[in-house]
Amino acid sequence: MLMTQLKMDLKMFFRETFYIISIIIPPVSYLLMGQMYGDLTYAGGLSYAQLYTPTFIILISFVTILFSFGFDQVSNRSNGTEKRIQLSPVSSSLLLVSGILKATIITGLGFVFITTLGVFVYDLQVTPVQMFLSFLGLILLDAVMLLLSSAIYSIFKSEKSALGMSIVLFQVVLLTGGFTIPLAVAPKVLQVIGHVNPMNYVNQFYTHIWNGTLAFSGEQLNGWIYLAVLSVLAYAFIIFQGKRKK
Amino acid sequence: MEMIKVKDLHKNYGAKQVLKGIEFQAKEGEIIGIIGRNGVGKSTFLEILMLLKKYKDGDVQLFGKDIQNLSITDEKVMKKKISAVLQPTQFYKKLRVKELLELFAKYYQCSENVAEVIENFELEEQLKTFFDNLSGGWKQRVSLAIAFLSRPKLVILDEPTTGLDPHMKEVLWDNIRGYSERYQTTVILSTHSMEEVELYCDKVMLIEDGQSVFFDTPQNILATGYENMNQFYLQNTKKGGK
Repeated sequence: MLMTQLKMDLKMFFRETFYIISIIIPPVSYLLMGQMYGDLTYAGGLSYAQLYTPTFIILISFVTILFSFGFDQVSNRSNGTEKRIQLSPVSSSLLLVSGILKATIITGLGFVFITTLGVFVYDLQVTPVQMFLSFLGLILLDAVMLLLSSAIYSIFKSEKSALGMSIVLFQVVLLTGGFTIPLAVAPKVLQVIGHVNPMNYVNQFYTHIWNGTLAFSGEQLNGWIYLAVLSVLAYAFIIFQGKRKK
Repeated sequence: MEMIKVKDLHKNYGAKQVLKGIEFQAKEGEIIGIIGRNGVGKSTFLEILMLLKKYKDGDVQLFGKDIQNLSITDEKVMKKKISAVLQPTQFYKKLRVKELLELFAKYYQCSENVAEVIENFELEEQLKTFFDNLSGGWKQRVSLAIAFLSRPKLVILDEPTTGLDPHMKEVLWDNIRGYSERYQTTVILSTHSMEEVELYCDKVMLIEDGQSVFFDTPQNILATGYENMNQFYLQNTKKGGK
């Protein structure tokens, strides 16, 4: 059953032109930004590839989860598909697991794609152990993003308002999550928003995981606690919303 | 055999009382129409029977079991016996008809029935079409095929023929009656078509202001002096919508 659901979920994803475009744009941006800033050295002595390879992997994951998981939920809710599925004997946990596996597979493809570009275009040095740990880290952060996305989109009943929210979220995350310019050199107002933007922490953590500088102390620990608290709140909110609808 | 028994059913949405006392019974193989103005609680009543909504007071028995406090296992077993066509009729847009049938056959664990519904509902020419690209009539036809795929004991149809041309209505009704007779499926439908109630329903329930005010056969209702079901409906419902 799970394999059939997963196969159908993947088919639906790859048949949606908008989703395909949304996972092609980040690698193109990765290449274009590399042409402009590829020779610079960033905070912590990191090269362009060391800083932006994990960043663009997270960006692909974010876009995939935001649109194909969160926005899709609203779409299915508003057109009645969700209700029809609910009255069938398939368990909601199976659908959730399929959704998580779908996100993991697609973000995994993004991971392989961006890393391959980094290795061949920017001479990125990677080891198998680093790849393995980074992929595990990506799955963990995918879970955080899935929870946050589900909680946010559980509020919406119409596609229009969800689309509006998606556009705003995408812009905010792009500007204050360290995906375009490092937050340290961004205007003050963006830095303030960046401090409460969970995607900023997701991006930072993944860069640490990727470069082997992950720590559970100081500022990083505060960030982990912040993400953990948000994840628990998001989970509680999803449960609450599910009960409220009955 | 009694499939559904509802006694004094009440349901609130916050402070708003939607159902204020529904009495209802359905036997195996019966086709029962639920009529009433928009907003009187028809969909809410059907959603309670579909296990999609909880209720405040009253007693609802499906297949001899109280549905208010079902265990997860019992709910899953019960859901296998129930199917529905909802309004609006929608499924995953980017799946082809054949893929949808296969997916729902997996949900209901009845993959062996796929070929039969394709034949009975004459779906061959649309099997490769994406659901989103089907016309309204074909969407209803596919939805009905999916509803009967698992040979359920209870099928709930929310305005199944609204907006369809007379030919497509006839095709759908032929299938509804055919499956109901063949597998003794109980069919409950909400409709605004009094002609369909008169032609196809064994019984009809009129909901007015959240209460079941009439529940009888169309023949008995007409025997009381109404010219047709349309006249009965107009004389027993308040003018205008909610």
